Amino acid sequence: MNKENLAISISGMSKWYDDFKVLTDIDLSVTFGERIVICGPSGSGKSTLIRCLNHLEEHQKGSIVVDGIELYPGMKNPELVRRTVGMVFQSFNLFPHLTILENCILPQRRALKRSKEQAREVAMKFLERVKIPEQADKYPRQLSGGQQQRVAIARALCMEPKIMLFDEPTSALDPEMVSEVLDTMIELALSGITMLCVTHEMGFARKVADRVIFMDTGQIIESNAPETFFSQPKHPRAKEFLGQIL
Amino acid sequence: MFDFRFYEIWRSQEFVQALIDGALTSFWLSSIGGCLGFCLGLMLAISQEKSVFWGIRYTARSYIELIRNTPFIVQLFFVAFGLPLLMDYQWSFYASALLAITLNFSAYFAEIVRSGIDSIDKGQIEASKALCLTKRETLMDIVLPQALVKVYPSLVSQFIFLFLTTGLVSEISIEDLTWAGRFISDRNFRDFEVFIVLTVMYMALAWLFKLLLQLLKRYAFPWAEAEI
Amino acid sequence: MNFMENLFGPFYGNMIGLLLSATRYTIYLSLAAFFGGGLLGLILTVFKISPSRILRWFATGYIWLFQSIPLLMLLFLLGLGVPTFYQIDIPPWLAAGTALTLFTSAYMSEVWRGALESIPTGQWEAGKAVGLTFMQNLCWIIAPQAFRIAIPSTVGFMIQVIKGTSMAYIIDYDDLMRWGKRIANSQLDGAEPFVVFPIVALIYFSLCFPLSLWAKHLEKQARDS
Ligand SMILES: Nc1ncnc2c1ncn2[C@@H]1O[C@H](COP(=O)(O)OP(=O)(O)OP(=O)(O)O)[C@@H](O)[C@H]1O
Ligand SMILES: [Mg+2]
Repeated sequence: MNKENLAISISGMSKWYDDFKVLTDIDLSVTFGERIVICGPSGSGKSTLIRCLNHLEEHQKGSIVVDGIELYPGMKNPELVRRTVGMVFQSFNLFPHLTILENCILPQRRALKRSKEQAREVAMKFLERVKIPEQADKYPRQLSGGQQQRVAIARALCMEPKIMLFDEPTSALDPEMVSEVLDTMIELALSGITMLCVTHEMGFARKVADRVIFMDTGQIIESNAPETFFSQPKHPRAKEFLGQIL
Repeated sequence: MFDFRFYEIWRSQEFVQALIDGALTSFWLSSIGGCLGFCLGLMLAISQEKSVFWGIRYTARSYIELIRNTPFIVQLFFVAFGLPLLMDYQWSFYASALLAITLNFSAYFAEIVRSGIDSIDKGQIEASKALCLTKRETLMDIVLPQALVKVYPSLVSQFIFLFLTTGLVSEISIEDLTWAGRFISDRNFRDFEVFIVLTVMYMALAWLFKLLLQLLKRYAFPWAEAEI
Repeated sequence: MNFMENLFGPFYGNMIGLLLSATRYTIYLSLAAFFGGGLLGLILTVFKISPSRILRWFATGYIWLFQSIPLLMLLFLLGLGVPTFYQIDIPPWLAAGTALTLFTSAYMSEVWRGALESIPTGQWEAGKAVGLTFMQNLCWIIAPQAFRIAIPSTVGFMIQVIKGTSMAYIIDYDDLMRWGKRIANSQLDGAEPFVVFPIVALIYFSLCFPLSLWAKHLEKQARDS
C-alpha cells in the first residue's frame, strides 16, 4: 500500500511525559473511510494516542503521517493537519459565551476565512444533520449534555474534515443521553468518513467498526475485526478487559 | 454630646454647590480613570502571555508589581509634581490626577484579569486548537470574553475599593468631593458633620457605581445572564 | 547616619537617613493596625459565626460599615471631626491607629469568615457529636484548618495596611510620606519631587514587595498541598 493513500500512518512512535513513557512503539495504518474503535483500560494511553494525531500532543520518536502531512515535535504549522482532522472531546468543550450557531460559525470564519453567509449556511446544514437546528440561537448551557455533544460534532464537521477523532464522547453523559449521541455517530460512520473513536460502547463498535484496537500500558496489543475481537480475544489482558466491560 | 448641626452645611448655597460639584468631579474622575485603567490593564494582562516577547512581558510584570506595592499617594505626587519637572512641561493637575488614577487602577485590574485568563478551562484552549484557531484568536475570541465574565465581580469590588481612595486627589487641589469637604469645614468649623455627610455621599456614589456596573454587565455579557 | 553619608554622600545620605528614620513610624503604625485590627477582626469573626443572632447582626453591620467608609474619611472623622466636635485633643498617632485598626478589622474578619465557611459543615458536626461546645469546636477543630486557608490572604492584606498608612500624613502623622512631602517641598537642589518620591516609593516597595512574594509563595503552597 502506498503511504500517500493512507489517512493515517504511524510507525515506531513513542511518547514520554518527562521520564514517564506513555506510548511505546506504536504502529498503525488507517485507510480513508476506515472506522476504528480504540479501547483499553484507564491510563493505557488511548487519549494520548489520538491527541498525537492532531498535534495536541507531541511525540518524541517514530513518525506520524496524517493525510500526507508529516507531524514532528515543534512543528510550526500544525493547522495544516488540524484542518483535515476534526476532534470531539469527552467534556464537549463548547464555547459557553457563544450561541450554538456562533460556536459553529466562528472557527469557519477564522480558520477557513468563509463569509458570514456561507459559514452560516454550512453551520445550519450540519446542525440539521445532528438534528438540533431549532436550538441554534441558544447558549450551550441551555442544552442537555447529549445535545451539547451533538453540537460539538456538528461544529467539528463544519470544518469539513476528512478524519474525525472522538475521545470517549459519551462517557460524560447521563445514561439516557448516550444513545442520541451514538445514533449521530453511527449515521456519521455510515456516511463514509474516516473515524477513530476511543469508546467503551461495545454495541457501537460491533455495529460500525472495521477494526477494534486494544491498548494496554501504552502499547497496541491487539487489533482485529470486531467479531473476532469480541468472540476470541487472544491476549489475556483483552479477555480480562472484555470480562469487566461486557 | 450629640449636638449635630448639619444645617451649618445646608444653610449655605455655596457649600451645597461645592458638595454637588465635588461629587460630580469624583464621579467623572473615577469613571474615566476606571475606563482608561481597564483598557491599560487589559493590555498589561495580555502582555503576560507566554508568547509575548520576554522584554515586554517582564516590563509589564515589573510595572504591575511596582504599582501594586506602593501607595497611590506617592504615585500621585510623582505624577503631579515630579513628572512635569522631568518632562519640562507643566500640564494641569486634572491631567495628573487622571493619569495617576489610570496608572494605579490598571495594575490592579491587570492582576485580576490575568487570574481570570489563567483560570479558564484547558479544554477550551484545546478545542480552539483542534478547530485551527490561532493563539491570538483563541485569546481574543475564546479566553478573554470568558475570563472577563468570571472576574467581573472582583473587578467591580476592586474598582469600588480604589474609588474610595481617590479622595487623595484633593491633595493636588483637584476640587473633588474630599476637597469640597475641607473647603466647607475650613469655613464653618463643623468638621464632624461635614465628614459624616461626605462619608454618606461616598457610600452613595459607590452604590451608584455598583448599580451602573451591574447594568453594564447585563449589556456586555448577555450570555452570562441567559436563562437555563 | 554616618553609614548613609558614606554611601550616598552628605546630602543624599542625610536625606535618605531622614526618610528611613521616618519609615519607623510607618512600620509602627502598620504593626499596630495589623495586630489591633487582627485582634478586633478575630472577635468579629467569632461574632459573625456565633449562635447568637444579635452578635451576628452586630458583626455584619460593623463589617459593612467599615468596608464602605473610605479610609480617608475615617482618618478625617477621627483626626479632625471628633476632636473639634468634642473639644478634645486626639494625637495623630491615636487617630491614625484607630482609623487603620477599624479599617483592618473589617477586611480581616471578612477574609477569615470566608476561610471558616470553606471548612465543610461535616467538621462542625463531628465536633458537636463528640460533645464539644461551640467555642471548643471552633478553637480546636475548625480554626486550625481555616488558619491554613486564610494565611495567604492575611499576609496579602498586610500590604494593603502598609499602603493605607501613607494616608495618615493628612492628619499630621509624622511618617515616611509626610517627610517625603516635606523634603520634596524644600526647594533644595537635588531634592526635587522627581528624586524624592521615587525614593519614597522605593522604601514603600521594599516593605511591601517581600510580603507580596511571601503571600504568593504561601498561596502556591496551599494550592499544591
Ligand atoms: N499531561 C500529562 N503529564 C503527565 N502524565 C500524563 C499527562 N497526561 C496523561 N498522563 C499519563 O499518561 C497516561 C496515559 O494517559 P491517557 O489519558 O492517554 O490514558 P487513557 O487511556 O485515555 O485513560 P482514560 O481511560 O482514563 O481516559 C496516564 O498514566 C496518565 O497519568
Ligand atoms: Mg482518556
